[in-house]
Amino acid sequence: MQSIIHVEKLTKRYHKSEKLAVNNISFEVYPGEFFAFLGPNGAGKTTTISILTTTLAKTSGEITISGYDVDSQAKEVRQNIGIIFQNPSLDLNLTAEENIRLHVNLYGIYAYKPLYSLMPQEYQRQVMELAEFLGIRKDLFKPLKTFSGGMKRKLEIIRGLMHHPTILFLDEPTQGLDAISRRDLWDYLRKVNKNQKTTIFLTTHYIEEAEYADRICLVNHGQIAFLGTPTEMKNRLIEKYILLDADNRSALRSQLEPFNPEITEDGKFKVHFEQQTPQQILFQIKTPLSLMELHTPTVEEAYMDLVENKTEEAKAQ
Amino acid sequence: MMPLQRELNAITVIAAREIVRAFRDWMPYLAYSAFSPVLFLYVLGGTIAQNLSGGLSYNYLQFALLGLIVGSLYMSTMSSVTSLVQDRENDFTQEIFVAPISRYSIILGKIVGGTVTSLLQLFMFFVVALVMKISLAPLAIAFILLLVPVICFSGGALSVLIASIFSNSPKGVDQMVILISFGQMFLSGAFIPVSNSSGVLGILARAMPMTYLVDLLRGLVYQGSPAYSHIVLYNPLIDLAIVAAFSAVFFVVGTFLFVRGERNR
Repeated sequence: MQSIIHVEKLTKRYHKSEKLAVNNISFEVYPGEFFAFLGPNGAGKTTTISILTTTLAKTSGEITISGYDVDSQAKEVRQNIGIIFQNPSLDLNLTAEENIRLHVNLYGIYAYKPLYSLMPQEYQRQVMELAEFLGIRKDLFKPLKTFSGGMKRKLEIIRGLMHHPTILFLDEPTQGLDAISRRDLWDYLRKVNKNQKTTIFLTTHYIEEAEYADRICLVNHGQIAFLGTPTEMKNRLIEKYILLDADNRSALRSQLEPFNPEITEDGKFKVHFEQQTPQQILFQIKTPLSLMELHTPTVEEAYMDLVENKTEEAKAQ
Repeated sequence: MMPLQRELNAITVIAAREIVRAFRDWMPYLAYSAFSPVLFLYVLGGTIAQNLSGGLSYNYLQFALLGLIVGSLYMSTMSSVTSLVQDRENDFTQEIFVAPISRYSIILGKIVGGTVTSLLQLFMFFVVALVMKISLAPLAIAFILLLVPVICFSGGALSVLIASIFSNSPKGVDQMVILISFGQMFLSGAFIPVSNSSGVLGILARAMPMTYLVDLLRGLVYQGSPAYSHIVLYNPLIDLAIVAAFSAVFFVVGTFLFVRGERNR
């Protein structure tokens, strides 16, 4: 399949900085994919997304978006993308609806009209529908100065979706949203991703949001630490085990011998299950257990493991 | 939407934003538009007229009115365009610069918005002139209105260049705009005659873009009158050519540098 985002040997060094913000990274994103770009603060996520969206120049490397070069065909690239920025980029002197109208006019979707009531019905319907969905309909015509951080974030999301982009870049999109709004937004974004086949390129601090991604690219210190599916990330990087204990530890030890258990500092038994299922292990145990904890990895644990390992490696270097 | 139509739409919406913003923040806008003509024309012009008029062979207040209109519209557009740097501080330029439109359309939209908002100031100049009984023929008013876009584009283009050089410091941009615009007001002959300036002051006067704008307007207004030879420095066509050259260079170089500054961090 032809990739929709092609990044090859991308490097970025900011002026007056000795460190590389992005260090020779390469990856591909495919049409309709939900691609999560994860990493700790300062890993190079926002730098990469800024370069991909043409707002920041790269130091070296090759990037094409929908087949267009980000440097020589920047306007064509911008026609194909939508972006929700990490920092709100709203005009506080305008109302919420005026900010949306400004956006659709800049993207050439609708001709400029000085009043909302003069805009086409289709625009009015789309704005109302999205505002209703995100719960800011009654505030649409209020000045932005009265908006909370969460409301501004919702407004940016409405704005970013108005021009139906082929690729939607989301830089920490749910920052500042409460749990319910976050869930509602993700329900909607998943619908956009599936129904409209919009490619989603996400950076987030909420690791659990990456669980829904088709693939995860983990960056740390400007380099790719992992690239694969969430399942691959969990399977390859985190140990799966059962933690067992019994009053009669010697009996339990002998029954667990075929599974080569690891003894923890406080004498408990850690049995890894790469080949077998937990059930197969438990089936062999006759001794009454005083403890049984099943440890299966989450993306967050895999993420922490990778980031911490990479940080240690970087420190060692 | 066709590419050209899209660009025109973008220019319109960016200009409209400037106008809406000015009216939303109406107190300072109204105060500046209303009081700067009073301050410049009545206080400054009036004081000079009372003390100099005996030595001049033409009506000083009419001379100053034309120069001050040019200077004020020029300054007003400059201030409006430098809001680009404020937008950058507030992260709003991200939204504009990621839109699929030409960077020149963005700057042009700012200039058009600044031009429209400066019209209130122009109207106030006419009101103050009427109160002060400064005669202005209908043809002179037509020339002024005709040159408003030229004056504002010239001021806006210089402002983009200043904003591109001092893009990391909104305060620095404001200070430079004040310094350069007042420097031009004093040296260009806007309200002090410079036809006899020589030496360094003469060179500086001829290095100021505003000199040619002021001279262009006066050249059109005074054409055929005895005052023409005392006041006007160059043929209006020469003024227009120099203004066009200055403005085009400032606009293209300023926009290029500003955009490069945005992307090359």
